[in-house]
Amino acid sequence: MLDWATAAPAVTAAFVASTVEVTEAFTIVLAVSSVRGWRPALSGAFAGLVVLAIIVVALGPVLNLVPLNALQIVVGVLLLLFGLGWLRKAVLRAAGLMALHDEDAIYQREAARIHGDTQSAAAADGVAAMASFQAVLLEGLEVVFIVLAVGAPRAGRPSLMLPASLGALAAFVVVMAVGLLIRKPLALVPENTLKFGVGVMLSAFGVFWTSEGIGAPWPGDDWALFGLAAAFLIVALALVALVRPRKTVLAS
Amino acid sequence: MNVVREVLEELWSMFVGDRRLTLLTLIVVVLAAAVSLLAKATTLAAVLVFLGAVAVLADAVFQAARKSRR
Repeated sequence: MLDWATAAPAVTAAFVASTVEVTEAFTIVLAVSSVRGWRPALSGAFAGLVVLAIIVVALGPVLNLVPLNALQIVVGVLLLLFGLGWLRKAVLRAAGLMALHDEDAIYQREAARIHGDTQSAAAADGVAAMASFQAVLLEGLEVVFIVLAVGAPRAGRPSLMLPASLGALAAFVVVMAVGLLIRKPLALVPENTLKFGVGVMLSAFGVFWTSEGIGAPWPGDDWALFGLAAAFLIVALALVALVRPRKTVLAS
Repeated sequence: MNVVREVLEELWSMFVGDRRLTLLTLIVVVLAAAVSLLAKATTLAAVLVFLGAVAVLADAVFQAARKSRR
């Protein structure tokens, strides 16, 4: 039986990370639909979802065949690399040293690109469907990795694959529902704040899993995840304050 | 083929986008594993993974900040 302390970090990490990725994919699918209509946009997106489903179905059972310690080390290190990478970018964006992700700009750029690529109507629909397919596949790969990583089997404990998948599915439903309702790029989604949170959670998961994999479990079991996440949050906020350019006040 | 290449590039950038960060993270994990297996100091190894990850993050942030100011 799953308890809250075990399931909550996996569900939250999968939900928040998926919200970011689905928002990014939705922006491109929406741009495609605005230029060539919903048919190529949705057919490309559907094809992307099918390929993602095949990847999940193929990789899921493989995880059970890998020795647990090896799996924990590999997943832990990958989570660390992924999480620290996200956190690094989120810190730099929060400090104003890197441009924020702009869904409106991405929407305009993608729509212009598809416009520019058009020759015949059929070719244009093909280009549009392919753009939609790629967006869903590429953004979805990150969601698949996060779900597989935070949901992977653990020694003597229930698998978190189902709660993590439900978290990702909930994000997909929420973003699609809001997106289809307003039919505009979801520019108001606070992507950097979400990425900051995901980077913190994935880094905490990465440390937790890597430690377990090398035979050095954290005291407090799953509760240690909350402590690690809090520690990463404090460190990341401190780094933002340290690297944020200082405003120089000139005496008049 | 273009899609396959882009998928592979995406996967590569997901984990090895910042080579220095990747290399330092792997060094931290190897050191912590050595401490856990050879010295049997498991709590120290777990703390080493965390502190190492924090140090790697700080290094990556400071490096990028320095570059952006040049």
